[in-house]
Parts: sequence; C-alpha cells; structure tokens
Amino acid sequence: MSRARAAWDTAWLQPVLVVLVALLGGLFVSDFQKVTLALWVIYGLVALSLDLVWGRAGIFSFGQTAFFGVAAYSYGVIGINLSPNTGETVTALIGGVAVAALLAAALGYFMFYGKVGDVYVAIITLAVTLVLLQVITSTAGPQYHIGNAQLGGYNGMTNIPSMEFGYPGHPGDQMSQPDTYTFAVLLAGLAFLGVRMFLASSFGRVITAIRENELRTELLGYDVRRAKVIVFTLGGAIAGLAGGAYAGWGSFMNPAPFSLPAAALIVIYVLVGGKGSLVGAFIGAVTVEWLSTVLGGILPNSTTLVVGAILIGVVLLVPGGLTPLIGNVLTRAFPRPAPPRRQAPSGAGFGAAGRGRELQTLGLVKMFGGLKAVDSISLDFPAGQLHCLIGPNGAGKSTFFNLLVGQYRPTEGKILLEGRPIARLLPHQRAQRGIGIKLQVPSIYRELSVQENVWLAAFAKRSSTRQAEEAVDRILTRIGLVGRANDSAGDLSHGEQQWLEMGMIVASSPEVILLDEPTAGMTHEETMRTVELVRSLAETATVVVVEHDMEFVQRLDAPVTVLHEGRILAQGRLAEIRLDDRVLDVYLGRTFRASGN
Amino acid sequence: MDQALIIVISVLTSVATLLLISVGLAVIFGLMRVINLAHGEFLMLGAYAVLVATRNGISVWIAIPLAGVSVGIFGLVVERLLIRPLYGRILDTLLATWGLSLVLVQAVSIVFGPATNGIGTPLGSVHVGGYSFSQYSLVLITMALITLTAVYLLFTRTRYGVMARAAIQNPAMARALGIDTARMNMLTFGIGSGLAGLAGALLAPVAGVVPSFGQAYIAQAFMTVIVGGPDVITGTSAAAGLLGSSYSLVSYLTTPFIGQAALLLIAIVLLRILPRGLSGNWRTYL
Repeated sequence: MSRARAAWDTAWLQPVLVVLVALLGGLFVSDFQKVTLALWVIYGLVALSLDLVWGRAGIFSFGQTAFFGVAAYSYGVIGINLSPNTGETVTALIGGVAVAALLAAALGYFMFYGKVGDVYVAIITLAVTLVLLQVITSTAGPQYHIGNAQLGGYNGMTNIPSMEFGYPGHPGDQMSQPDTYTFAVLLAGLAFLGVRMFLASSFGRVITAIRENELRTELLGYDVRRAKVIVFTLGGAIAGLAGGAYAGWGSFMNPAPFSLPAAALIVIYVLVGGKGSLVGAFIGAVTVEWLSTVLGGILPNSTTLVVGAILIGVVLLVPGGLTPLIGNVLTRAFPRPAPPRRQAPSGAGFGAAGRGRELQTLGLVKMFGGLKAVDSISLDFPAGQLHCLIGPNGAGKSTFFNLLVGQYRPTEGKILLEGRPIARLLPHQRAQRGIGIKLQVPSIYRELSVQENVWLAAFAKRSSTRQAEEAVDRILTRIGLVGRANDSAGDLSHGEQQWLEMGMIVASSPEVILLDEPTAGMTHEETMRTVELVRSLAETATVVVVEHDMEFVQRLDAPVTVLHEGRILAQGRLAEIRLDDRVLDVYLGRTFRASGN
Repeated sequence: MDQALIIVISVLTSVATLLLISVGLAVIFGLMRVINLAHGEFLMLGAYAVLVATRNGISVWIAIPLAGVSVGIFGLVVERLLIRPLYGRILDTLLATWGLSLVLVQAVSIVFGPATNGIGTPLGSVHVGGYSFSQYSLVLITMALITLTAVYLLFTRTRYGVMARAAIQNPAMARALGIDTARMNMLTFGIGSGLAGLAGALLAPVAGVVPSFGQAYIAQAFMTVIVGGPDVITGTSAAAGLLGSSYSLVSYLTTPFIGQAALLLIAIVLLRILPRGLSGNWRTYL
C-alpha cells in the first residue's frame, strides 16, 4: 500500500488522537482552567476555518471572524427566543452555522463568480467585516431587538442560554462552562475530521489543484468559481460553528470579534501553527493564547501592540510562517492527500475517444482599442484532422488562439464546435465540451507529482476515481513518464513538462485539442519526439497547432494556414506555401519583391 | 429649492470625503500595487497631527498642510523599513501593514488616551432659507478638487511622474534607463502617505479624533479604489462620485448606517458586473 493510500485511509486518525489527548488532558486540569481551555479550542476552530480557506484553498479571507460573530449573534437570537419553549439550543447552534454559511456563500458568489483577484477578496472580506462592526455597534438602543433578544450595540448581547439538549416540555440542563470544554473539543474534533475527509476526497484534490495552478485547473474543465464558493462556504460554516459554541460558552456576545485585532489574531494562530497544517490551527491558537496570557501579565493593555508587532516580525523575519522554525515535523506527519496509485499496465495507447469534432470560426474579429488584432478570420478545422497555424510575430496567432480558448471574447464573429456556438462560453465550459488546451508556457501543477497531475486531468472528465486511475496509467506509459510518476512535476525537464501537459490534455479525452507552440524551448531531439506525439493526438481528435518552428511544421505534414496582420494570408500544404511570394515577403520582411526587380 | 441645494452640497461633501480618503490609496494601492492596510492609520496620524498642532497654538490652516507633510515623511520611513523588503510579496505586505496598523492604533491610544478629541470646526455656517450647512464643507469640496488635479498633473505632466510610473511598471527597464527605482518607489509611497495625512487632517475638524479614526474610513477607501479600476485617478474619481452620492442619498433617505451598508453592497455588486472596475474598459492613462 502506498503512502498516499495510507494518508487517505487514515484521515480520521489524527483528529481522533487529538480529541482523545484533549479529553484526557481535561481530566488533569481544574475547572477554572477548563473554562479558558474551552475558549482556546473555540479559537482554534476559527483558525481551522481560515487554514482550510487560506492554507489549503489559497483564498486569503479576513472574514472568518465576521462569520464567527454573525453565527454567535444568531445563536443568541435564536437561543433567547426558542430555548425557553424548546428546552434546547441545538437549533440555535445549527441556525448560527446556517446563517454564517449563507453569508459566506453569498459573499463567495459575488467574489468568485465576479472573478475578483486574490487581493480584492482580502479587501472585500475586510470591508464586510468592518461594515458589520459599524452596523452592530450602532444597535445599542432598545428599539434594536429581534424577538426577546436585545442586540445591545457596543454593550453586547446578554443572557444568551448555554448549550442545552432538552426537548419541548423537558428542558435539558444548561451546560456548565467547564463542561463546555468537552463539548468544544468534540465539536472541534468533528470539524477537524470533516475537513480532513473533505480534503482527502476527490473534490479536495481539486481544491489543492486550484491553489497550485488556477488557470490549468480551469482549462482542464473544472469550475473553479464553484469550487471556491463551496470551500469558502464550508470555511464560513466552521467559523460559524465556533461562533455558536462561543456564544453558548460565554452566554454573552459583543461586537469585538468584528474588529481588526480579532481578525489579526486568527491569522497569527494560523501562521504560528503553520499555514496548511490543520492540527497546527489548534496548536497555534493554544500557543498564542497561552503566550498572550503570560505576556498580558507583564505588559497590560498592550495585547494589540504585541499582536501587531508579532505580525510584522513574522512577515519580515520568518516569511514562511513559524513552522520551519519549529521543524517540518507537522507537515511530515500530515502529508497532503495524494491520488491512489495502481500498477501500470503497459502497451495500451491513448484511450480511444471519438474521432474528433469540427471546429469553425466565422468572421472572427478581436479589437484592442483601435487595433484589429484578428480581422474577420473564417477557418474550418475538419473533424479528426491536424491543422497548423503559422505566421510572423504580431500576425494575430496568439489572439486567435486565445479566442478559441476562451481567454478573450470576440468583438464579432462566431466560433462553432460541431455547429454549436461556443464563443460566449468560459474556458472551463469549453473544456467540458471537449476542447483540450495547451498554452505556450507549460502550465502544470509543479508542486504535485506527475501522476497527480494526470489524475486531475482524467478526473475532470470522468468523475469516477477508478476510471481516472486507469487512464492515468495508460497515459503515463504513452508519454514515457511512467518511471517518474511519483516525482514532482516541477522537477521534470522543460520538454518533459510539455509532454506531461499534453498527456494531461489527452487524459481529459478531448474532441478538439488546441496547442500553442508545443515545442517552445525544446531541444531538437525532444521536438522530433513531439512530432509523433502530436500526430498520434490527431488519431482521436481534431488538433490545431500554433507554431513557430518550421521544421516541426514540416514534419507534422498537415494543412497549414498562414496568418498576417490578423488575416489569412495563405492556406495549403507547406510545400506549396513555401513557393508563395507573399508568404516569403512576410517572413523575410521584404516589403518589395526583391529578386527580379 | 433650498432643500435641493442642501442635498447637493451634502452629496458633494460625501463625494469629496471619499475622494480625499481614497486618493492617497489610489497612489499606493492603485498605482504601486502595494496593499497598505495601515492607510486608515495614516489618516488617523494626520488627524492627530492637527490636534497636536492646534493645541500648541498653531492655526488650523497651517496645521493641516503641516500634518500632510509630517505623515508623508513618516511614510518614507515606513517604506524604507517595512515595504521595501516586501515588494512582489503582496500578501506579506498586507500582513505587515496590518501589523503596523494595529501597533499604531494601540500606540496612539496609549499616548493620547482612547477618548475622542474634538477640534472645533473652523468657519461658520451658511444659512439658506430654513436650512444651513457648514462653510467647511465647501473647503472639503475645494480641497478634494485641488488635490485630485494636483495628483493627476504630478503623475502625468512632470518628469517625476513619468519616472515614478516607469519604476512601477517595469522596474528592470527603468533601472536600465538610469532611474533609481528604489528612490522613486520610496518617494511615491511618501506622496501617497502624505495625501492620506492631508485627508485625515482635513477631516479632523468634522470627525472626532480617536485612535480608531482610520477604521471608519479604510473599507470605503479600498472599495473606492477597487471599484475605480485600473485608471487610478480618473477611475477613483468616478467611483468616489458614484459611491459617495449613493451613500449620501441613501443616508439622507434612511440612516447613515444603511448608507454604509448600501455603499458596500453597491460596490460588491458593481464588481460582480464589472470585475475590472469602472475604468476597466476606458482608454485613459491615469
């Protein structure tokens, strides 16, 4: 059994161990200490939510404390209104989680479907947190109440019921603060387990893929926007769980969690515990809180000052967070989940898909300001054929390619895949309709292993783990990288990376394959091997190659279209085109016919 | 009619306020792509500078420009110590300036105390029919216009402006052309900080001077610059116009808090529709 398989099977192990240790530890501390420890565990839970969203999915969010706060207030409102009648606060806890998750989902929808950049996500979540702070602090007046719950503004909401598990007519005992420790530990353990399971699932691998290379993931046909919203919502729900537990623990809630220092603390927990290390979230929270209790005795009223100084210090002096200082023990003990590996059968070719589909462009135009980069190009790429696009620099090849890919929207004109218009589809939607895309610069997951790379591509189309695994083996054999299956993709040579990427495209069984300068940066020998690879792609798909290297184009022996100044200059076999004076003029930079005049 | 005039002035004041608090950020975040989360605290320092100066008998009209200059110098120091090692590491810059913001808030509240300090609003009020407005609003509106024009001219019409933009857009090339990019960036950051200080100083008489002064503005400032988009000055102006007037009108019709929420909501929805900001498809330069 491989290391990866083991990690997948034992996702439950660490959470269970941590919970057992925490519960056992609880037997040896005083009730007073338990009250504090419960709080630290709850903070750890918020840190876990940020670690999932930031450390694992790569989305930096200021909003975790806001989700925490919103859930805590919701717990308060629901608990105060319902628990006298129902005798339980479970609905309040669930309600809090639901409100936080909904808020996160709504926010995530606007941010990720709006495709705002990482930095903007940070700022939008910051803005939302600060606006919530202002709104909630302005609710001090007696007119601000929901049912029996006074919001209380700056003074906070009081008389929030503690956790209780009764039912109507039989109110449960309100949980004492020391007992909340056990409850918080169990809750945190469940969330921790849930997050680990989530990350070890196929969807979790897609999350990792997005963090490592968002563009490639999109080109493979994954809906990056949806995945981000899902993980962000999950993060919001976990922060909400912590918020509900917090309100039940303290029977009190005020606007402080919406403030910037509170949000900063969560980031510090994660940095101290090690970004991406889930158990580190709890370790970080407990360490920092313990330290600040100690420091608070020495320097009263300066907690914020210390927090700020730590933040600056960590960033300037220990950019990788504190984990490297503590040692790589944590990350080594909790390896990133990897796709399972099976024995490789040999000899099989690429999985035979269809025969390819026809791709057409009709009067395609792309303007950049006043410049017509592509000037009404109508081209027909018949099903199952190989086709080359050449042209000097500035001919409009890249723009045309990007229009096919979906990176640009055409100003005018149509793109038809088997007669259906696709010009308005996003790249991942085109990928789902069977277009495989290879950009010029190798776009692979450098930090993931070679087989993980191919697996992600295969899974994009199959959504069945088993089928994906089988495809991985077949393709690795075909691109000659079986021996390097477990190496990091970033360690491959440049040529091998290009092959890997082509393998990834094949893994998604496309009907149409678009290749942008597949031999860029390759040695002569690698280029010659690529010829065969590209020709074999054309056995099962329509292939369009944009290329510079004339020898490569000649070896491909396919119909060629020459672009110049955004228009089609010539079409035909390379041998014929070579005799075309206009093409020679363009390529040799002659404005006049040189010879014979 | 009188009421309409009052509304117009109140809308213009909101727009001017947004412009003032955003223009420094437009330089630092919009132009330099440095996320300065301590921007709010730079505003706050400007406000405290005016407070200290007026307490020492300096006229508020001298104190305000003085505050801008002081915060500008402070910005130079921050750039040298904190920002320079972190160019190209956007998230680290964000975290470090966040730390700076926390430190500044706490330090100021230790030195000056956490309470609100008032500075009397200079100039009186103008009465129009049954309504009145503060003459100082007109000062804010005028200053916003002057600042905006000055910054636009500085970055488009001066040698410094061209060199500064070159240093940001293509540092390697700029260095090859003999531009000292490190010095340029330091200067540009200083100018952005100075603009923040000036804004804080101008707002000090109308807003209470408290350590949390910046928190009230930072979110709006960032949203304005983001909604503004790539053409930093014109985009930010347009965004300030749009967001400021919606804030002002919604506040007028309901309460300022709903106005705040409306501002944020409009900004987020706008970004969903125009992900590159208002100026995303414009063809101006700044």
